[in-house]
Amino acid sequence: MNAGTAGEAGGSSPLGGTAGGSGGSSPLGGTGDRVVITGLGVVCAVAHDLAGLAQAMRRGDSAITLLAHLDEPGYGAPIRGFALQRALGGISGLAESLRDRAIRAAARAPLPVQAAAVVALQAWHHARLHDRAPPAGRVGVVVGGNNLTEAYAESQRARYERHPAFLPASFALHCQDTDHVGVVSEVLGLTGEGCTVGGASASGNLAIISAARLIRDGGADACLAIGALAELGPLQRRGYLNAGAMAELDGGFPAPPFDRDRRGFVPGQGSACLVLESAGSARRRGVTPLAELAGNHVALSGNRLADPAQASEAEVMSVALRRAGLAPEQVDYVNAHGSGSPLGDAVEAAALDQVFAGVPEPPWANSTKSLVGHCLTAAGAVEATATILQLRCDFVHPNAGLRCPLDTTCRLAGPTARPARLAVAMSNSFGFGGFHSSIVLTKPAF
Amino acid sequence: MITSELILREIRHSVCDVVRQIAPEAVVPKVRLSDLGCNSIDRADIVTQVMERLSVIVPISEFHSGLTVGELADIFRKHA
Repeated sequence: MNAGTAGEAGGSSPLGGTAGGSGGSSPLGGTGDRVVITGLGVVCAVAHDLAGLAQAMRRGDSAITLLAHLDEPGYGAPIRGFALQRALGGISGLAESLRDRAIRAAARAPLPVQAAAVVALQAWHHARLHDRAPPAGRVGVVVGGNNLTEAYAESQRARYERHPAFLPASFALHCQDTDHVGVVSEVLGLTGEGCTVGGASASGNLAIISAARLIRDGGADACLAIGALAELGPLQRRGYLNAGAMAELDGGFPAPPFDRDRRGFVPGQGSACLVLESAGSARRRGVTPLAELAGNHVALSGNRLADPAQASEAEVMSVALRRAGLAPEQVDYVNAHGSGSPLGDAVEAAALDQVFAGVPEPPWANSTKSLVGHCLTAAGAVEATATILQLRCDFVHPNAGLRCPLDTTCRLAGPTARPARLAVAMSNSFGFGGFHSSIVLTKPAF
Repeated sequence: MITSELILREIRHSVCDVVRQIAPEAVVPKVRLSDLGCNSIDRADIVTQVMERLSVIVPISEFHSGLTVGELADIFRKHA
């Protein structure tokens, strides 16, 4: 990759010259600089790239379907027809050297790692990092997700049981969640900081927030935040069913999030990458931000179970807004966690009602999970991507299949997409074990 | 029956699977695996793959870095 040095600050700023501080990076202290998003990449059940996702969101395409071929048939939103080489071929202007490196590093890796490599390259290009990057040591990568390798490990069991010697040496690499980080850093030649972070279904938001913290801390100019694709192993899938969290087969096509007839989540396969960057770095590189990460907050609820906590949900939303210097009435749109959980959606609706009580114009709200399923470890990243697309294009996607919406202050999107003037958006992600997170995304120069 | 040709064919198949972008014709007895672009994990994966396809078990200690394709084939033939 081009390890060009950071250029001169100055010239006209895409942020209108209001970015705090000079944007210079200090290895020892915070920069005071704003954090922006300059690139996006996504692969999911409705589309294998950003343009495809935007189109699917406008049309309200839902990829939720009955998976009849499974040992135990059930509902899901699987990635269909994904092939590494074809997906790489879809990245316009991808240098052959980068393409070859991706194939070399990921062709035999499990699906989640392949997806991560693709979305990382999509976002890398989108952010113009392929031709004007900060030094390699100033770019980090954080991958959100744990327990990413159960399906892979199960796939090797038969060969192991034929004879232990048949287990590939590369199992030692592929059975680690951190394989995601190693592969992406090898493909892109990154020598900054890297790690995985985990927060169950809040992992995507945690990756975004961790990347932002690294940048705010002065440890990186840019950082990729990747939500890892959840390829559920048989025990994982069964576990969710037995816990009553996943929508069972019985009862017909599952009602979507926020519907009175909802009966649980539908798992989705997807991965997304956001390039987070200091405003100063974006300015130096002459790249216009797509959106700003204006605020964020994460809180546990002191609870190891799956049940949600209204107080924690309201807290993370309120504090994220406060940190963004914004009031609830300024929020135009909420991308809800909206998992389809009977209790979860009700509690989130109550928390939204609490946060937005009394605002003159309640925000629009939808759940991207009605289109692409619950991407679990990747959900926060996929949904942040969907949020930014809607922000930039001034529309809200439908809550696909919503027929009997529960009562809430928020304006739940209906069955079709609708135009909306959006400047401030919020995206929530909550996870089993008391994880609560909320991020505030704004149009640049808001 | 496990012939020399079969072993060589399996090694060639494995090398091309593990290292994409290698032409099968490049996998000849006198070339070293490392010269074909195989790193240490690749070499170990090739060995376990060939073991599985031939159902021949060879102790890992018999393999070392710097082996040529031909030397690798000899090790398998010895244990076949």
